[in-house]
Amino acid sequence: MSSQAHPAPSRPPLGSGVVGAVALHIAVVGVLIAVTFLHPSRKTPWGDKASSVGAIEASMVASIPLPPKAPPVENSVLTSENVTKAPEPPPKEKTAPPPKPTDLLIKEKVVPKIPPKVAPKETLAPPKRPQPVPVSPKATSGDAATQLPQSISHVKDGTATVTVQNRAFGNRYAYYLRIVGSKVTENYYLQEPDPIASRGKSVTVLFDIQRDGSPANLRIETRSGSPSLDNAALRAIQRIDTFGDLPEGDHITIEYKFDYRP
Amino acid sequence: MTMRSISGSTVYNSALHFLSIAALCFVASPMLRAQDWFHLESSNGAERIRIAVADFKPQSADASAFKHAFDATLFADLNAAGIFDIVSKGLIPQSSPGAPAEMNLSEWSAPPSKAAMVAFGSVATQGGRLVVNGYLDDAKNAQFPQVFAKQYSEDASENEARQIAHRFADEIISRLGGGVAGIAETKIYYVKILGQNKEIWEMDYDGQNQHALTHLGTVSLSPRISPDNSRLAFSSLGREGFQIKMYSLLLNRMVNFTAAGGTNLSPAWAPTGNQLAFSSSRTGDPEIWTSDREGNVAHRVTNFRGPDVSPVWNPKTGAQIAWISGRTGLPQLYIMDADGSGVQRMTDGGYATSPSWSPNGQFLAFAWSRKYGPGAPGGQDIYIMEITTKRWIQLTHGIGRCDFPSWSPDGRHLVFANGSGARARVMTMLADGTQQHALTESGADMPNWSWK
Repeated sequence: MSSQAHPAPSRPPLGSGVVGAVALHIAVVGVLIAVTFLHPSRKTPWGDKASSVGAIEASMVASIPLPPKAPPVENSVLTSENVTKAPEPPPKEKTAPPPKPTDLLIKEKVVPKIPPKVAPKETLAPPKRPQPVPVSPKATSGDAATQLPQSISHVKDGTATVTVQNRAFGNRYAYYLRIVGSKVTENYYLQEPDPIASRGKSVTVLFDIQRDGSPANLRIETRSGSPSLDNAALRAIQRIDTFGDLPEGDHITIEYKFDYRP
Repeated sequence: MTMRSISGSTVYNSALHFLSIAALCFVASPMLRAQDWFHLESSNGAERIRIAVADFKPQSADASAFKHAFDATLFADLNAAGIFDIVSKGLIPQSSPGAPAEMNLSEWSAPPSKAAMVAFGSVATQGGRLVVNGYLDDAKNAQFPQVFAKQYSEDASENEARQIAHRFADEIISRLGGGVAGIAETKIYYVKILGQNKEIWEMDYDGQNQHALTHLGTVSLSPRISPDNSRLAFSSLGREGFQIKMYSLLLNRMVNFTAAGGTNLSPAWAPTGNQLAFSSSRTGDPEIWTSDREGNVAHRVTNFRGPDVSPVWNPKTGAQIAWISGRTGLPQLYIMDADGSGVQRMTDGGYATSPSWSPNGQFLAFAWSRKYGPGAPGGQDIYIMEITTKRWIQLTHGIGRCDFPSWSPDGRHLVFANGSGARARVMTMLADGTQQHALTESGADMPNWSWK
């Protein structure tokens, strides 16, 4: 619609323009060739032997003091000129030929010799010498001294220790405390404490002995950590009806310690 | 899981089973064996007290006549107590100290006697009286050696010298025995076989001083002494058959006990002394009955077909009765509460007779033929059983028929009859079966130890 309204402008003819451009290109190329051939370059090429142009001339100068040549250090391997010969690599080890199957010695089963059992000889304990008793200033007061047990009895799997808190009674009626100790030991049943859980433990129980010899106020002073050992110690006292009439006084308090050492 | 795929896996399994059972048996058998003796052994470390008995020093010329009886009785009493390690007479020092001033304890505590305790003293006669001073010293206590000192004074006779020795021994045992009184003054009642007749006799616990109590001229059986030593119950054959009879040791004559029909046998005292249990067939079948001490207020306790005989009370509580019942065939040992409830069978077979309950209530002693029948091995022996666990041990082995065990009041001894018929004799032993020895010649049966 618009081309119909504005008709295309009239163009010059194509043929005359193309010819002119081709002719111009050819002319330029021809001029360049002509100039190259007609005016060759006068310059000597770079690096020629010409004296004034080209390469830089270097002249050896002897007057400049050079550092003297250091004599070779004979001992240094690095500087020595007499290079010692490098040691030859060790000769390749020849691998031993594989042993023949017949060469292999098959070990016979060796029955280990069991030495005949011999009962261990009991070595007699060296005779005991009387040991010097250390002098303790505390012992004279009686209060600060450690209470010594009045009765120690060794049972099959441990040690039972009986201590009375009233020292005067313990000294005067030592036999009574030995009876108390043995009676408690009699009534302590070996199979009650658990042998593994109780190993190396000890329990302390406290009880009173009344005038008629009956135990009362039984309680645990120090637990062992093994309930079966605690119970065995408690039951040993509970089984006892009486220790026999007190030789003197209204009641005594007994500390009973049991060490379990199977 | 993978075994299921292996053929023959059941064979493998059963073999494994057998092996594990066998292994279990190996592990268990030593434990079982160890349990047989449990705590009746006294060797769990408790040491016996080593005691030395010095010969008593005669202070007057005629006292030496009684000295020998006194020394022998004291030594025998302490030896029989079962709680002492008594120093042999050959090891004690030659001296015979008569008073603490003459006592050199270091001599006695040193080897070879190594005594922990020393009993010593003096014997003298003063105006027809025998006076004994007895001392017990603790040889390990140099500062306060004396445990006690006692003076005894009785008519001068050999029997009284023995009684003083018994009393002194009992004093030592009660001081050192941990509250258990000695038995040296106790008595044993038994049936003496005199031809066709059987009478009730009495003797000291060591077999000395045997003498008759009854002279009924008939057959009297199973004497049982009351807890206060005042009355003796037994069964005696009369016009109405076997009846319970009562003899007073205070009046030295028979006292009343109400007769009933049927056969009445084997009386037993309750620990209170106010009740008796016995076997009576007044209703036709022998059952256990209880009554008061005059035979009144009788109650039947058992009611079951089959004979029920030989009751015995639990002396500790008085709340239980052990007896022999034939309700399942052969006689077996049973216990029940005193009102007849809670019946429990104790023996699992054999032929059990004559129970006796230990003073602490823990054990029953009884006679038992474990394998009963023609050609069965073993005989009738004395056993004791722990009641709570029903575990038992055999006390007599291969000494012939043993029957009628009876506990001593300290629970450490038993008396029993050995042999049958006119050859029977009374023997005693410690409650672990050791130290068996005869107390009488043959012709003694059915012993009963007094309560104190």
